[in-house]
Amino acid sequence: MSALDRLRRVRAVLIVGVVLRAVLWGTFVAISIIATVAIADAITPIGLTLRILLRAIAIVGGLAVGFTFLWRDRRVRELDRVALWIEERVPSLAFALVTAVEMSDSTFVVGVRSSDWTTLAWRRGFSRLAAPLAALLAASVVLLALPSGAVARAGRPRPGDSLARTSGTGANRIEPLVAEVRPPVYSGQRRQEIDEPRDVRALVGSVITLRGRGDANGVVATTSADTIRAASDADRWQITLRVSARPVAIRLTDGRHVRIVAVEPIVDAPPQVALTRPVHDTVLRTPSGRLPLAAEATDDYGIASASFEYIVSSGEGETFTFKSGVLGAVRASGKQLQLAATLSLDSLHLKPGDIVHLRAVAHDANDVGGPGLGVSDTRAIRIARAGEYDSVAVDAAAPPDAQQDVISERMLIMLAEALEKQRPRLAHDSVLHESQAIAADQKKLRRAIGDVVFTRLGGVPTGEEHTDDSPERAKTMQDMLARADSATNRSVDPVDFEGGESPVVAVNKPLLEAYNAMWDASTALELGEPDTALPHMRRALAAIQQARQAERLYLRGAPASVVIDIDKVRLKGKDKGASSARRPEMPIDSAASLRAVRLDRAIEVARTNSSAAADSLLLLRIDALADAPTFASALADAAAAVRRGDGAAATNALARARRVLVGSPVARDSLSRWGIIP
Amino acid sequence: MSAEFVFATAQYESGDWDSAPLLPANIIDTIARYTEIPVAPTGVIVPLSDARLFRYPLVYLTGHLPVRFSDAERTNVRAFVDRGGLLFVDDHNHDIDGTFHKTATEEIARTVAPLTELPNDHPLYSAFFKFDGPPTTSHELNGWGDNLVHKHLLAVQRRGRISVLYSNKDYSSEWNYHPDNKRFLSVDNTRFAVNLVVYALTA
Repeated sequence: MSALDRLRRVRAVLIVGVVLRAVLWGTFVAISIIATVAIADAITPIGLTLRILLRAIAIVGGLAVGFTFLWRDRRVRELDRVALWIEERVPSLAFALVTAVEMSDSTFVVGVRSSDWTTLAWRRGFSRLAAPLAALLAASVVLLALPSGAVARAGRPRPGDSLARTSGTGANRIEPLVAEVRPPVYSGQRRQEIDEPRDVRALVGSVITLRGRGDANGVVATTSADTIRAASDADRWQITLRVSARPVAIRLTDGRHVRIVAVEPIVDAPPQVALTRPVHDTVLRTPSGRLPLAAEATDDYGIASASFEYIVSSGEGETFTFKSGVLGAVRASGKQLQLAATLSLDSLHLKPGDIVHLRAVAHDANDVGGPGLGVSDTRAIRIARAGEYDSVAVDAAAPPDAQQDVISERMLIMLAEALEKQRPRLAHDSVLHESQAIAADQKKLRRAIGDVVFTRLGGVPTGEEHTDDSPERAKTMQDMLARADSATNRSVDPVDFEGGESPVVAVNKPLLEAYNAMWDASTALELGEPDTALPHMRRALAAIQQARQAERLYLRGAPASVVIDIDKVRLKGKDKGASSARRPEMPIDSAASLRAVRLDRAIEVARTNSSAAADSLLLLRIDALADAPTFASALADAAAAVRRGDGAAATNALARARRVLVGSPVARDSLSRWGIIP
Repeated sequence: MSAEFVFATAQYESGDWDSAPLLPANIIDTIARYTEIPVAPTGVIVPLSDARLFRYPLVYLTGHLPVRFSDAERTNVRAFVDRGGLLFVDDHNHDIDGTFHKTATEEIARTVAPLTELPNDHPLYSAFFKFDGPPTTSHELNGWGDNLVHKHLLAVQRRGRISVLYSNKDYSSEWNYHPDNKRFLSVDNTRFAVNLVVYALTA
């Protein structure tokens, strides 16, 4: 073996020593921090978040120290530095070894014994490891001396490890407290542990186990429906209960110690099902062909099965027969499902007048309180009777969604009248602002009228005018009519007002008159002149009424109208008995009133006993969870703020709760949007 | 709300809601005949999806065809019973195996709550006239429909008060005649309607 080879062996020994030393110091630092945290936690409990942070600091600190040592001794990898280190300790080499390294020639150190160098390196390595080994040993002894629970809380912090705490033992066995929540299997959710639970949210059917330290004897949980005594489990007690659909306040008592745990159930909602095909109810002239069906279903935890259902009703008057069936049934898993099938109308042997009622249904996987059933809206497919006109069957469609924001002409007149009445007391700018707002609604309604005319003529609904600034907009009744007719090519001479015989004119004239009147009205309103606009608006209303009267259809025929002559029936003047005394119903908001009283009491209690006030708010929250979730949410914030002594946050949350309960005060600095509220 | 009682018939999208057109007048006549309750001389037809539903304490619903509420109807009916209204549903098919019965009971369960049997000593049966249970109808005695004489009505009750009353007895057929024809009856078969109205107004 050459001198250089021997030198490389020495370097390897030194590197091992450096690495071991860095590892030992790093481990010592990490263990020291964890031991310190464990001791501090035993004296004063440290929160889970802080413990997780401190464990991270321990790991990072250990690594930092280890890397610091490695960085400081990084030169140990360089062969010339190792050679110098040997030359320092073996002066007889007289720099021959350094020269050999620099020249890469071992002949400079021929005859020198190399075993001494390796011994030197081993001796050096062991001497440098003594200090960290001793420190690590001492830290380990401290760690072993601590209770295992305390070390686990510092070294492996996790939710639910409160019971491993060493401090806090005493007469109060419900402090610390851990809740374990096991959701039902079908939900696929994981088990959860909660330290010091106050407000537990869990799926209905979940099993909640409350655990504490000490003997079970005397520890009792009370709910509105039940009293449960704790069971022993080694050196701990536990109480198990199942989450029902109603919110529950669990009152835990151990002698004079009391604490409340609120359990808020999460109810598994039934699937949401939408029938996407067919889109609308419809009437078929012939009962043949295949009808494609499609539906979408979604669920919060999972869908188990889905299908289409149909009912065929036949007959009329007092005689009806029915048959029903299921189509496209599928077993499913997952939270979303697309369902499709085809209904053969021929196979149903339908006759004129028959109605097929179609819907989609889906069941969820809830095996606790379910399965939940979700159903779509029902579509009716009717087979037309002989001699029945399709138009009669389809004209009764509801207005499209886009028109639902249009205010009626009657309401616009009321607004304009109210504005005119208040005009002397309002500033000009206010009058102009309000008047222009009414004008905007008047324009919307005018556009809707124009769309109706176009739609009835078979044109595009928005063909009349896209914007008010369109240069091609219709400005007069004749213009409007001509544009409508040219869009549909219905008549040779659409603007035939002289004889009034054109069918286009006959059908649309009242609406077109309304259109023109609305145009004049909106122009006047734009200028802030409601008094000028009102006659035009009334003319428009009359025209609309005329159109409605002219075209009213009674799809079922006019119902029989029997008017009872009450005086005649009562043989007026005779006493025919009296009804029982009427008792007034409870006011609709009686629950809200009671809650307002309870809220006031809780606030009153908060002045003297914040803990009791927080419990009162929690109980009030449980009561309100089912039917007033917003109020309950505000109460949860208030209870939390009261408990931690945050007066400002508590005040805000309580104010929010009260606003939800009794409504916000209303301030108006201008005319009401509806104009008729004084 | 008007000071006088107005008999309201529910209009719903899925079925033949107007299958008993003479019944409202007949009931109004009965109310006028036996009580001094201020009553409107004609009834009204109120869509279940319309907010006008809340004006009426008692709403009558009947038909032969499947009862499938739209979302708007379901929401409104739920609010109606929440506010203390009484929905009286009568199966015009008088058939427990019929489609009206199956779909209406399912829809009521979904919208309000499942129906349960109403005991025959319920205050409804003594709210004005005294009955030992729901009066039978000629249709069930003649063996029409399901060929059964139903001994109980069904109901959804809240805090001891009926929110939804459901009948398989086909009062819609029994009471669907012009009030002038009452004079041919030895016993007025519409008297139970007085109990319904009085109960709806006072309970």
